[in-house]
Amino acid sequence: MDALEIINFYLVPGIVIGSIYALGAVGITLVFAILRYAHLAHGDLATLGAFLALGAVTLGGVSPYVALPVAMVLTAAAAVMIDKAFYAYLRERPKIVTVMASLGVALMVRAVVQVVWGVDSETYTRGIVRPDVWFGIRIRDRELITILAMIGLVLALHVFLQQSKWGKAMRAMSDNPDLALLSGVDNKKVVMLTWIIVGGLCAAAGVFLGLNYELKAMMGWTMLLPMFAAAILGGVGRVEGAVLGGLIVGIAEEMSTLFLPTEYKAATAFAILLLMLLVRPTGLLKGKVL
Amino acid sequence: MSDILVMRDLVGGYGDANVLQGVSMTAAKAEIVVIVGPNGAGKSTAMKAIFGLLKVRGGSITVDGTDITGWEPNRIVEAGVCYVPQVSNVFREMTVHENLEMGAFLRSGDLSAAYDRVYTLFPDLKERRKALAGNLSGGQRQMVAMGRALMLEPKLLLLDEPTAGLSPRYMEQIFQICRDVRDTGVTIVLVEQHAKQALAFADRGYVLASGANRHEGTGADLLADRDVADMFLGG
Repeated sequence: MDALEIINFYLVPGIVIGSIYALGAVGITLVFAILRYAHLAHGDLATLGAFLALGAVTLGGVSPYVALPVAMVLTAAAAVMIDKAFYAYLRERPKIVTVMASLGVALMVRAVVQVVWGVDSETYTRGIVRPDVWFGIRIRDRELITILAMIGLVLALHVFLQQSKWGKAMRAMSDNPDLALLSGVDNKKVVMLTWIIVGGLCAAAGVFLGLNYELKAMMGWTMLLPMFAAAILGGVGRVEGAVLGGLIVGIAEEMSTLFLPTEYKAATAFAILLLMLLVRPTGLLKGKVL
Repeated sequence: MSDILVMRDLVGGYGDANVLQGVSMTAAKAEIVVIVGPNGAGKSTAMKAIFGLLKVRGGSITVDGTDITGWEPNRIVEAGVCYVPQVSNVFREMTVHENLEMGAFLRSGDLSAAYDRVYTLFPDLKERRKALAGNLSGGQRQMVAMGRALMLEPKLLLLDEPTAGLSPRYMEQIFQICRDVRDTGVTIVLVEQHAKQALAFADRGYVLASGANRHEGTGADLLADRDVADMFLGG
């Protein structure tokens, strides 16, 4: 097998799925950093986003790329409402209570998707797309757009966190919540802002997963473990770490099929997660220790 | 002189126990008041009470004529009181300048005068404005913490053991900065473990014991007092 084949059949798909994991992992890491719990409904929120985009595609007759921002806005609104309806009441309780509640929310969100859109697999567009060939590297438009959209969204988030007043407030809340309150930062606004961003990123992860593979009610749930592995690998609370972690997990999963049966793909993410927690619990970029 | 802080017969504590059993104190405009006392006397608790961080069951606190008893901390910030905790008092993952920005979170408009003021008080920080606060030395971190609190231009600045764990050189520097801050018209109330040095530098002092007032007076008077000397100045 030559280098080009490895790139075309393993590296490119790895980067594409890695970009999707990265979008999810960034959200997971933000929830960890600011709200300090593991959000298990993250995958199913991505599923909701993917199907909301499908709704826009079938009802509005628009392309999935136009449906993406619509789905992001709607999923962000859904995330804010879920927080107000369920998590807000548990904020003063031990965090494990909220983790368990988020598992319940995951099941509820998935049930809603199944009731509205059914349990069959769906796609945004029909037909086979031929990949373009660039110097022997084969890549489809949608794959290129997935990677570029991930980079664009993460860069936008980075600029927001580094430059804007409320972005800095989010970082302050992650860094030292007591001192942020003493400085007059309104905790409720930071929490709401966090859910808007996390919801939007979830929807983007879901839409790109649906675009490159297919839409299923379980699509987000199966993506939960690799997303968590990516967030912990990169270092909890580190946005750039989550991107790095997502890409590593995605590429490692695809590369593992060189040596292992395809069924063990998911085990690769699990192995990375365990190894990282044992060897370097702070992650690659020195995040928080949970 | 008008009193910026008036605390009257304060009773309160964490949970059900009352750590404070009737503490009273005042602080005038542009005055440094130090609270000293043995461990467990309720020094830090009295300070946290001003900032609304514990349950107050009796007595009252007014700041510049406004009764703030029982207010939420973020409203107390808006009333012009800033509090510098003893530990984890900086945003470690943010730069020195960003720490100051967070201090001014509630302010809008042109802040360049406020930055100038803080950087004039702490020239060390101006040099290291792009450094992460977590990478600074203990003394410099204390300066960041004070600078963050001063960005709001408070009427009353509360410092909880600002010299804890610092070398004597830094301790003297922090005290000098307190004097400079006072001279800009800010009232400072601080809790100190180093009773002798603190009483020597403060305008007035309160000695607390078992959650109540034991002595009060000018720093010099307290230093000369037999009972105070027996309590912690080595007899």
